[in-house]
Amino acid sequence: MKIDAIPHGSYTHDVLIHHTDDELVAATMSFVESGLNAGGHVLVHSFRERLALLRSAVGTHPRLEYALDEDLYVSPMSTLFGYERSVAQREGPGDFWVVGTVPFGPDVAGHAAWTRYESLVNEVLGGYPFHALCTYDTRALPADTVAAALATHAYVSDGVVRTGSPSYVDPGRFLADARAEAPHPPDTEPLAGTVLHGGNDLSRARRLLRRVGRVATALDPEAVDGFVVAVNEVLDNGLRHGRPPVELRVWAEPATLCCLVLDSGPGLANPLSGYRYPELGEPAGLWVARQFCEELVVRNRPGGAEVFLTTG
Amino acid sequence: MQPVDGLGAGWTGHVLLAYHSEQERGAGVAAWVRRGLDAGARIVYIDAAGDRDVRRLPEVLADNGVDAVSALARRQLQLIDPGRSGASSAWQKAVVADGLRAGYPAVHVAGEVSASWKAMSAEAHDDAERTAEALCRTRPVSVLCQYPADTDAAVLTAACALHGAGTRGARLQTVPLSVGVALIGEVDTANQKVLRSVLAAACGSAREERSAVRVDMSELHFLDTAGARALLMATTAHRARGGVLRLHAARPNVGRLLRVLGVDRVHGVVLEDAA
Repeated sequence: MKIDAIPHGSYTHDVLIHHTDDELVAATMSFVESGLNAGGHVLVHSFRERLALLRSAVGTHPRLEYALDEDLYVSPMSTLFGYERSVAQREGPGDFWVVGTVPFGPDVAGHAAWTRYESLVNEVLGGYPFHALCTYDTRALPADTVAAALATHAYVSDGVVRTGSPSYVDPGRFLADARAEAPHPPDTEPLAGTVLHGGNDLSRARRLLRRVGRVATALDPEAVDGFVVAVNEVLDNGLRHGRPPVELRVWAEPATLCCLVLDSGPGLANPLSGYRYPELGEPAGLWVARQFCEELVVRNRPGGAEVFLTTG
Repeated sequence: MQPVDGLGAGWTGHVLLAYHSEQERGAGVAAWVRRGLDAGARIVYIDAAGDRDVRRLPEVLADNGVDAVSALARRQLQLIDPGRSGASSAWQKAVVADGLRAGYPAVHVAGEVSASWKAMSAEAHDDAERTAEALCRTRPVSVLCQYPADTDAAVLTAACALHGAGTRGARLQTVPLSVGVALIGEVDTANQKVLRSVLAAACGSAREERSAVRVDMSELHFLDTAGARALLMATTAHRARGGVLRLHAARPNVGRLLRVLGVDRVHGVVLEDAA
């Protein structure tokens, strides 16, 4: 079997919606075969039991590797930027092919974060010679999660034939859509806050955030310090690309810390900026910030931009 | 070589106070004066009106809770208007000789540079800094020179090279190593210019072209993307000549930032773990 119409050097991100193991194995085999025949490097990932099933059916090849979800899919953002780094820094010929199941997990509340990840894959990897076949098992996933996959993948594949998904929307629109469930700041009073008028105030804001993290959460100090890196870049961005004053609001719970940064500038032209791999010398503040927190949502409002950040 | 004085780096020797605000300058000067009074040193302070909003010393000390009235009365603390001579080499030597002759164990001299720039030429200023450095190395003398952090980069770099005890500021202190520098505190967009000058001076003093400049980062608690860029920009010429930048013992989040930004993959840069 061979999948039709995956051009070399292009980007494709297809979804397979399957009801049986046989469908999964057949589609995986044809995707792997297509990738290897095209001279690409192929990665098959899944949870332990399913990976064993796939490995026994697909076999081995020097350009084929297997990986466990627990190693590769730790959190949506670390996975997203991990793929970005590996394709952006990849040398040598051949496209990168990935087939597997995003580990949505049993907790439905966490599904939206992985669905946003699926949409963002198009933003982050869309410029690279990268091909993915994401497999959705209707026996394990709620109907809403499967339906959302049709909005985050431009093509539906059955392993042989690819057809355009009529409900696909680009990441910018999807992330702003209610289905994406992008996080909002709590509607409670913030625990702490401060206003910055210039770069000399950044140090004081970091100290405040660090102290709240240490005192009001059970996060380990290294996680708090990482979050401080993210928030500092967003504050600095607000001061330089937005306009002072910039306000910082901080909320804390035992396992999370979150911040809202409000600037007084014209708003961000692209709320998805900071996802794509920066060229040498390009500003990298927001790109770094996104990697040092779990959620970073940019929204424009009258009178400025607001950025909401959370730890994992 | 270890940082001279660990965290806090101390105020002894020929020190450059790079200040971003009058408040930061005042706090640094007050700490330096208090240290000198505690040590029983003669303190000679060039209290000329500088540029901007630089305040006179009595106001700075009062604001920072340093009581110097009795020290002024017994002339342990002297406020000097250097007039036309600035802080010239001859003047410095005379002040040191006078203090030691009066029986003080050490002489401490300080001033804000915009005052001396008004009074002397750039050449005379450099000459004065060289004299101060020599006095600090050979006599019981400490000198605190206060430079605005936004001083022209080339001027600040030259000044960094002439201050053997390094730079101080509220958020960043730097201590020269045999070939390199130890960074203490934090670097962000607001103070990265000081880091650039400090590093450029360290690269300039690397005697052999292909030698390694070592940056001890073990006490650097925060670095942002602007600071990481400064590490590279300030060492571009040194690395282009075949020199190496060794970033030593970065703390976890500093190291993670450098790796995310790919600084460890830049030509001529080595990230070293703590031994």
